[in-house]
Amino acid sequence: MSRTITPDSMMPYFGTVVLILAGSLYFPQILTFDYLSQQLQIAAFLGLLATGATIVILLGHIDLSVPWVLTGAAILSTALVGSGNPVLSALAVPAALAFGALIGVVNGIGVAILRIPSMVWTLAVNSILLGLAVLNTGGFNPKGEASQLMVSMASGNVFGLPVSFLTWMAVSLAIVAFLTRTPFGRYLRSIGYNEKATFLSGVSTPSVVFAAFALAGMCSALGGVLLAGYANQAYQSMGDPFLLPTIAAVVIGGTSILGGRGGLFGTIGGALFITLLTSILSVMQIGDAWRSIVFGVIILAMLLFQAMRKGARS
Amino acid sequence: MCRRTTWKNPMTDPDKPLLRMQDISMHFGATKALNNVDFACKPSEIHAILGENGAGKSTLMKLISGVLQPTGGRIILDGQDVRLATPRVAQNLGLVCMFQELSLVPDLTVRENLLLGAPGSGLGWLRSDALVKARDVLDRIDGGHIKMSARVSDLTLPSRQQVEIAKALMRKPRLLILDEATSALNASVVTKVFDLIRAERDQGSSVLFISHRFHEIEALADRISVFRNGERVETFDNGDHSYNEIINMMVGQRIDELFPPKPPARADAKEVLKVENFSWDGRVTDISLTVHEGEIVGLGGLDGQGQGAFLMGLFGLLRTAEGKVTVAGKPVSVTSPKAAKQPDIALAFIPEDRKTEGLIQDQSILENLQLAAIGLKDLDASNPDLYQDTLERLELKHGGLELPVSSLSGGNQQKVVLAKWLALKPRCLLLADPTRGIDVKTKTQIYSMLRRLADQGTAILLLSTDYEELIQLCDETHIFYAGRLVSSMRGDDMTAQNIIAASLNVTEKRKVVHA
Repeated sequence: MSRTITPDSMMPYFGTVVLILAGSLYFPQILTFDYLSQQLQIAAFLGLLATGATIVILLGHIDLSVPWVLTGAAILSTALVGSGNPVLSALAVPAALAFGALIGVVNGIGVAILRIPSMVWTLAVNSILLGLAVLNTGGFNPKGEASQLMVSMASGNVFGLPVSFLTWMAVSLAIVAFLTRTPFGRYLRSIGYNEKATFLSGVSTPSVVFAAFALAGMCSALGGVLLAGYANQAYQSMGDPFLLPTIAAVVIGGTSILGGRGGLFGTIGGALFITLLTSILSVMQIGDAWRSIVFGVIILAMLLFQAMRKGARS
Repeated sequence: MCRRTTWKNPMTDPDKPLLRMQDISMHFGATKALNNVDFACKPSEIHAILGENGAGKSTLMKLISGVLQPTGGRIILDGQDVRLATPRVAQNLGLVCMFQELSLVPDLTVRENLLLGAPGSGLGWLRSDALVKARDVLDRIDGGHIKMSARVSDLTLPSRQQVEIAKALMRKPRLLILDEATSALNASVVTKVFDLIRAERDQGSSVLFISHRFHEIEALADRISVFRNGERVETFDNGDHSYNEIINMMVGQRIDELFPPKPPARADAKEVLKVENFSWDGRVTDISLTVHEGEIVGLGGLDGQGQGAFLMGLFGLLRTAEGKVTVAGKPVSVTSPKAAKQPDIALAFIPEDRKTEGLIQDQSILENLQLAAIGLKDLDASNPDLYQDTLERLELKHGGLELPVSSLSGGNQQKVVLAKWLALKPRCLLLADPTRGIDVKTKTQIYSMLRRLADQGTAILLLSTDYEELIQLCDETHIFYAGRLVSSMRGDDMTAQNIIAASLNVTEKRKVVHA
């Protein structure tokens, strides 16, 4: 089962190398350790979100509630820390993760039990979370602050490597093990390919859907906690810019948006590639409009290349 | 649109066929649905087509209506070769088919459905004058209550069938194909539909009529063609042959060496599966049966008479199913496939559609084999020995277990499905038509495998659309009709005649009635 590393999933790594080499022609400082280490730190935020998204996409579904699960987790954790109570403060990270898991279960109810298409259901959940956040804060920026733990998770360094990157890798490794060594992982892919046949093989497909969405929610929440630690605060809409890049990172990493095929190895590359692309585009002296256009075109080009490769093969 | 008038060349010779099919073959891979068939339909006749499931009737209709293209032979209309590349081409030539699978779009209204693909529609404005004919047809067949603005999904099944009939007739067909067109209608409506069909014939149209109800064919047909195993056995005028002679033609003779010998019944055999008063949603009613150790029990009947739903219900797939199920003496409640496969119940289900329900085509053979066993306690799914025995016995031909299962032929795919479930050593095996569309050699292998499993004590419940299987392989056969178990037979009672008669729910006593 070493199919995790496929030509498709190697693509974003090549892309990343090309970006670094081509970028360094114009900006030699790209090749410095400080710059690259900073990119790893920032890529971890996107990477954690994309890890969760990969699970759901392998299942053949999609989770569009990422932005406000992230924001909600950030608001919740900073508010707990901001309360000044040491017990609540210590509970900030676990509470945020529990919040993510809870929303994941809500998503699972809609998708597995009520059989609403995940695209619609999770989008509605996202919208409800937005409303709840605004109700809670009255529309102002939420009060609160990040705990020492959150700050060091987001900005600390160990052995010269960013803690956020190490966290991301640890989570990825754990989930890769979960996906390749347990029945859950097999069920997940099988459902992504053919839910009916999987169910008829005696698999409790609803529980798999629940677990997958809950895991994805926890990944989004962890991303939110790290972002809050990075900014030392939570703010409204902090998750909104992450939705498209999250899905793009998964798909560029070779995971089929239709489910079943793909894996986390590619997603890691996808997150690195997109983070680096965003960074290089922003150091280039071009306007926002062009930056967005170039970003979109490069992502489409990557996907087109994959589609053509697949077409040539079959 | 003067198509209709251009067709109407005066029929100088009434015996000259309207439509002729010459040497027609339709092969799906190794399966010969039709093999060098000659068939002709005269102008102004009602021509009934008879045959068992899989005899090739529906394939023939699909060829005439342009849904399929023959792999060999000629289709000749009015003495000229035609190529019916799409249903649209066939319709424009006046060949209109009303299919047994209802072809209406549920979310559209009756009017919208009638106008879909109606003559004169397409790009440009819809012509609602075509609806006048449809309205007239509906009124004449007791469909006066069906509103043009009603949504098809809100109509009952009989009403939908009436709309189908109107839709077919408003196209003013020269050759109208009715494939089980009246299966949902009650007797009085059927009579009116028949009057309408006769009127069409008298105006010069021909009708090809497929039905499983003998009395309908007796009442309506001018001529009858009998098909068997993809070949036309005989064509004759209605009344030339008796009911029994016709059934014998449908059955034919075949060599029995396909099947393993049946062992004598064991008197002390324990009950493995006992079902009492099983019902579901009005579609399966009050089924009770028992499968003993070592028995293969067959479920027969026409398509969709509840036997498939019954098997699914046993496997926990129907939420509102009622009834008492006992496995190996213990009452069980099977609420899901996962519950069904646990060792204390140990049911296995081979679904009807191996391509989409039995297997995951994009995954490897090995992954498919493991899917049922994985996650079960006391079973190591990664141990190849679990599957090896079955695969060797069935002689699975493959180029490596890591290849996608889609690289296998249909028969080999079915072997994978069987091996996947037999790895769990089920106490009772439920099979939904496991040999449909499979080559003869694989069939034989599967038959002897099933018999061997039965000898080892597995109870087997086999749904089949092939009565030969029921007769030759099964120890007991139950026939379903309209959701009920209408007949159970054992031993010498299991003859083709009895099975067909029970399937059609005609016994010598009451040959008509059902409608």
